Amino acid sequence: MKRVIVLVALLVVATAASLLIGDVNLGLGALWQGVWGGDGPAALTIRVIRAPRVAVALGAGAALGLSGATLQTLLRNPLAAPDIMGFTSGAGLAILVAITVGLTLPLPLVSAAGGLVAAILVVALAHRPGRATPAATVVLVGLGIGFTTTAIGTFLMTRLPSAGATEAQRWLTGSLAARDWGHACQIWGIGAVLALLLALQVRGLGLLELGNDLAAGLGLRVERTRWMLAATAVALSAAGVAVAGPVPFVALMAGPLGTRMTGAQRPGTRLTSAAAAGAGVMLLADLVARAGIPGLQLPIGVMTGALGAPYLLWRLSREIERGEL
Amino acid sequence: MKRWILLALLFAVAVALSLLLGVRHLTPSDVWQAVTAPDPRNPAHVTLLTIRLPRLAGGLIAGAALGLAGTVMQSLTRNPLADPGILGVNAGAALAVVLGALLLGRADNGIVTVLAFPGAALASVAVFLPGGGLSGDAGPVRLTLAGAALNALLISAVSAIVQFRGEALDILRFWIAGSLASAAERPVAAMSLVALCGAVLALAIAPRLEVLSLGGSLARGLGTRPGIVQAQALLAVTALTGAAVAIAGPIGFLGLMVPPLARRVAGHSLRLELAASVALGAAILLLADTAGRLIFPPAEVRAGIMTALLGGPIFILIARRLKPGAQG
Repeated sequence: MKRVIVLVALLVVATAASLLIGDVNLGLGALWQGVWGGDGPAALTIRVIRAPRVAVALGAGAALGLSGATLQTLLRNPLAAPDIMGFTSGAGLAILVAITVGLTLPLPLVSAAGGLVAAILVVALAHRPGRATPAATVVLVGLGIGFTTTAIGTFLMTRLPSAGATEAQRWLTGSLAARDWGHACQIWGIGAVLALLLALQVRGLGLLELGNDLAAGLGLRVERTRWMLAATAVALSAAGVAVAGPVPFVALMAGPLGTRMTGAQRPGTRLTSAAAAGAGVMLLADLVARAGIPGLQLPIGVMTGALGAPYLLWRLSREIERGEL
Repeated sequence: MKRWILLALLFAVAVALSLLLGVRHLTPSDVWQAVTAPDPRNPAHVTLLTIRLPRLAGGLIAGAALGLAGTVMQSLTRNPLADPGILGVNAGAALAVVLGALLLGRADNGIVTVLAFPGAALASVAVFLPGGGLSGDAGPVRLTLAGAALNALLISAVSAIVQFRGEALDILRFWIAGSLASAAERPVAAMSLVALCGAVLALAIAPRLEVLSLGGSLARGLGTRPGIVQAQALLAVTALTGAAVAIAGPIGFLGLMVPPLARRVAGHSLRLELAASVALGAAILLLADTAGRLIFPPAEVRAGIMTALLGGPIFILIARRLKPGAQG
């Protein structure tokens, strides 16, 4: 419990820091005014520019964290995150296609459709009749789907005019630039519904962790529960992608990071800490990306890529030592 | 023997199509006349001599080098998913060239192109150390993910550079997906020498690589020193990949497709497999390049995108076939 409080406190500090630090550094007084509806440039900077961006970062990070932790638990593999298995890049590609073609469907729907198509493809292609599918095969097939979506994305990029290509490049990297309250409401609204849906299934997730046979013996409809959990997780990651782009590695890192920080054991608290850790990683990565090098605003995807890749390499080398994987 | 003849036919067809097809289709007699009696006022001859032939040369060298690099890598790691693109060696070479081009201000400078080699060398060390690839018992998942991580890191670095320098996006578009379109402006002759050195080295160490694939301790017992053979193999991969990237930019997945096909042609001798890889790599790259020219004329789909579109499904096919015991 104490560690959960520490995590929440860290999150609050990171939020305050993100509101205050940027091209123009503000003081705590401005934060006070900004929150309570004062006007003046500092208060407006906070209310119109930074607060929605922070809200989107928190919401998208939490959604990605929840999605990653759910899939990692479900497949019993720390590498089974939506960003490794190509779900987020499928969602991102769907949005890129929609923008290129000029489709007017709401982006969260397009993104969810892309993520689900990628997930279904991964499951269908990894499945071999009459045999159990090892999680490693799912991860590898997911990587292959990721390669294909990346190839299609690169292909679309080269078909776009130069200005459109810059925009598309930014979008495919994952970026939180120019997010407004509309985006924030979108991710928090959709995220809250999906998180509630996930909360209703936490008991099933806990039972599945005991093993499929035992869970079935305890009266759980195993296949149905697995599918529902996977669909919720994919929808969560797609909701994150719809506002932030396919930001790499947040979903991969959030689960293990959250568990490590809070020491949580039960599936419910583990998911909660994964959401908090995802939100924190997203917020800090965005802060460093836009304020780390003065005068240079990097898209957040660059920062999480630079952070997440060494994490993945470290994780791989550690698992070699332990003889896992 | 029959398979060698088929391979030779495939190669000949790929070369012929690459010369004949494009925005302007040529006839075989055009080609013959352009070579025997070139006429500078005949547009068909000019196309052939200034565009198609350099492009063919670039494609031959880059394709052969990448095919060889893939076969050496797969033999070294005993991993059917190893490929210079998937493992991030291409991206390392490309990033080094982009950095050099931005720092020195010129993209097609010979000195800048040479940076592909240290880039490729650093990337292959970076991917093999944490991936555990050199111990020979790294599972495909581990090595492939190490490559994915390295690729993500390098692409982040490239994206960061693009934010610094807006004009870099046009350079970047070339360096993210390779193409043979500007092979004429690149140092093909010099790079073919480097690739030749890499190929000779690969052929020279082939018997010892075969011994190494029996396992480290057995190889030591037979008098092979694993560390040295591995270092030589990495050197060969670096020379081959660096040369290919310098000519064509990063072209992925050739190294994934070539070795299984080469094994079908050549049987179980690694030297013969390497020989088959040369022809197969060149043929596949030329076919991909020609197809890319024909899809949306007059615009081109880059050869690197064509191979990646093909490569994703092939990757999945190979991943599905891995035995559960070989996983992890």
